[in-house]
Amino acid sequence: MKKILFIFVILLWGCNKLDMPVPTPPVEKIFNVGESSVTNGQSIYFDLTSNTIHYLTLIDKNTGQVISREKFIGQIGENVRKIYTNSLPKGYLYLVLEDVGKNELKKTTIIIK
Amino acid sequence: MKKLLVICFLLISFLGFGQSVSAPDSKSFLPSTSGQDASGFVLSGFNSTSTLLASISLVNPPSGTTFVLNTTTGLTAASGFILSGNKTRLVVTGTMANINTALSSLKVNTGSVRGNVVLSVAATVNPTGYFYNGTNGHFYRPISTGATYTNARTLASQQTFKGQQGYLVTITSADEDAFIFNNVPQNTIWFALTDEASEARWTIDAGPEAGTLIKINNGQLNGNIPGQYNNWAPGEPNNSGNEDYAVTKWNGSQWNDLPNHFVNPYVIEFGTWTNPDDATFTEFYTNSVIHSNGEVLTARFNFDFGGNVDETKFSAKANTYVNNLWGTTTNTSRSISGLGKVDITNDLDTTKITDGIRATIVPGQVEWSLINPYETSRNGHRLQIDERVFSGTGINLNNIKYVKLFDVYEGPITPMDFNGWWKQWVVPGDINLTSKVSASSFQNNIRLQDGWYAFRADYSFTPNTMFKQHGIELSYTNQTDLNTLYNNIVTVSDVFIAFKELSNGGIFGNQSGLEFTNGIQYMNADVDGNGVFNEADTYKLLQHLTGVAPLTQYSALTYLMKLYSKSEYDAITKTNWNTQFNSTRSLYPFNLNSGTLNNTYNVNVTWVGDVNLSHSAQQSVSGVATNSMRTMSLSTQSVSNQINAYLMGENVGGKLIVTISVDPLQQELVGTQFNLNYDNTSLKFEKVEFTTKGTPTNFGTDRGSYITLGSLITDGSTTLDKTTEYKVTFLPLIGLNGTLGLTSVSNTDAVNKNGTQLKIKVN
Repeated sequence: MKKILFIFVILLWGCNKLDMPVPTPPVEKIFNVGESSVTNGQSIYFDLTSNTIHYLTLIDKNTGQVISREKFIGQIGENVRKIYTNSLPKGYLYLVLEDVGKNELKKTTIIIK
Repeated sequence: MKKLLVICFLLISFLGFGQSVSAPDSKSFLPSTSGQDASGFVLSGFNSTSTLLASISLVNPPSGTTFVLNTTTGLTAASGFILSGNKTRLVVTGTMANINTALSSLKVNTGSVRGNVVLSVAATVNPTGYFYNGTNGHFYRPISTGATYTNARTLASQQTFKGQQGYLVTITSADEDAFIFNNVPQNTIWFALTDEASEARWTIDAGPEAGTLIKINNGQLNGNIPGQYNNWAPGEPNNSGNEDYAVTKWNGSQWNDLPNHFVNPYVIEFGTWTNPDDATFTEFYTNSVIHSNGEVLTARFNFDFGGNVDETKFSAKANTYVNNLWGTTTNTSRSISGLGKVDITNDLDTTKITDGIRATIVPGQVEWSLINPYETSRNGHRLQIDERVFSGTGINLNNIKYVKLFDVYEGPITPMDFNGWWKQWVVPGDINLTSKVSASSFQNNIRLQDGWYAFRADYSFTPNTMFKQHGIELSYTNQTDLNTLYNNIVTVSDVFIAFKELSNGGIFGNQSGLEFTNGIQYMNADVDGNGVFNEADTYKLLQHLTGVAPLTQYSALTYLMKLYSKSEYDAITKTNWNTQFNSTRSLYPFNLNSGTLNNTYNVNVTWVGDVNLSHSAQQSVSGVATNSMRTMSLSTQSVSNQINAYLMGENVGGKLIVTISVDPLQQELVGTQFNLNYDNTSLKFEKVEFTTKGTPTNFGTDRGSYITLGSLITDGSTTLDKTTEYKVTFLPLIGLNGTLGLTSVSNTDAVNKNGTQLKIKVN
């Protein structure tokens, strides 16, 4: 009996731990949800279908005023931007994705707290 | 039809429509005086044969203040009360007529301690089996059949009364404990207090105070938490035999701990408020009045900040003026509400100082005194006293600062010169002399002659005591925020209007005076406060706008803000602005007036440099032909008061460039202003480049976390057109690729050639 236990312990000791793959959680695309709360420095994700000039525009939901707009050349597939909120007003903003002709492609609400 | 009327009558009777308690008007009692009339409460609408429960109480009265009912016919005192004698609370039962008779005999006795005298009367049809506590306005229902503690707690929570859910009684004060002791006949009564969750940690487990820990150790005094009411019997609680629940009226009037299985009587309490006036029982009627014991003890303010200013960023402190200096009465800083309201009653300094002599004029034999009709030029009445009255008194006549003239007038007076034998003073304001004399109790000693009245009088003189001069001082949350606020208050349209007015019509045509429609605008444009609006002021305004120099020497609230009573503010005109109201201040002085109740002061706020009043209180329309620059201009403009702007941010060669393009549409645009906020932890401002027609004054000032930029044309040489563009360059402190939100536009302003403030639509 002692031998069996000894062999069992040896076997256990000799086994390597399996490296199990850790699944990466899918990233929530900002324009796929109606409303998101964002914090300073947070990354936001969205998809584009062309690698042309696009605009990301922030609009004050109360006044309808454009408060910020950034021009960029996107890439086909997933794009990521890091949003900085220090200079943005607190409250509800529209985040609008526009094409080169300033046509609205996608729109969502973000909340700056 | 008759049936319908009967049904209506029954319905009205059943629902009890029309039942109410009405209260008298506020009044001021004399200090240290007994038997002062406090009648005026009236019950109405109750069934005349019903027995009513009525509670009469003084809510937190000043020490020494009591009331008494001189007539109590037909009334029965509730348990624990007696009808006779002076008291602060009385609960009675009786018919409506009997209670009203008693209320008409209500008298108040005051002591020397001054303060508000709040009288509250509540009435309902007397519910059998319930006791009403006039102190907190709760009902209590004793259950004599008894239950275990946990059952009592459950059963109590299942009861409702007059719209309120019940709970096992909580005892949170000696007053409430005494109320239970006096009104509930049973002994050994469960109340909501247990240490079942943790031994010796006694916690209220029902009602509005549920969860409140009042004691953390067993033993009569051990671990009693200061501020929480405990009333344990000697040696209790002791957990003898696992006792986790509390009873009152144990072996007298104190508390003990007992095990759950005891079947004890208990009391159900109804009501969650602490002030009887807040009671929301159905079919329960209450009313109250705030009298005062002698003096003013309230100071409430309504500040009108005008538009676009967040009042909640301001706070207020009470000040008094002593030895020629203002100083705060306490360190308490009270926030101003979003409606501009603040109450500093509790911060007042109610001690009195001696200043001058008080003359008391009572009936006598000789007509030593006269009082004249109201004179507009003096804004008051001349009071005259024969100087021979003062012979041998040693009194300096100019030291007489307060007078009590029979029952016609009592208050301050201001000395003036002699008229023959007559020393003269001014009684301020229009005291409605004729009606005061008509109502006087001393008609035999007053004679009318040619509009003035003569008084047969005697005199006595005592030191005049008065409240210190008070003031309310505003402050702002912090200096950085204040600077930002002020930069947003004084904008390009203000500066343009000031220049336009200064031009006296020479540049834009003869429109002199149309912009400055009242004295407030002149006063705000006189930024150096010298009583003259001139080039120096417009120069300073321009310097402020362009960031060259601050508008005033110090960017402190004291120099930027002006506070005036509403009546003062409305009285500022084109002709008096520079002589009467040219001071700046963030401290508003006010007087505590004897005998006045519920002082409310309406204060208007205006800002140095806010020429178009877009951020200041607007003057009342009455007496001002047109008080709004914008209103005037709107009436002559057919086009929309809007222009467009386009915003774009772009990473160019490793720098962030933000471009703002302007489209004036149909406007003759002469001024623009934008605030471009930036994240100063990620960006460093480098420059602004301007593309503008002609030679306007272009400005781009870095204010640390935002850039103020725009253009101003003050000489009429040109207007801004569609080519107008501002290009702001930032150097990155972080990698710019993949960023968003590092800049944003806020607080825009624009003005056209007519001086009309325009809205900028940013696209």
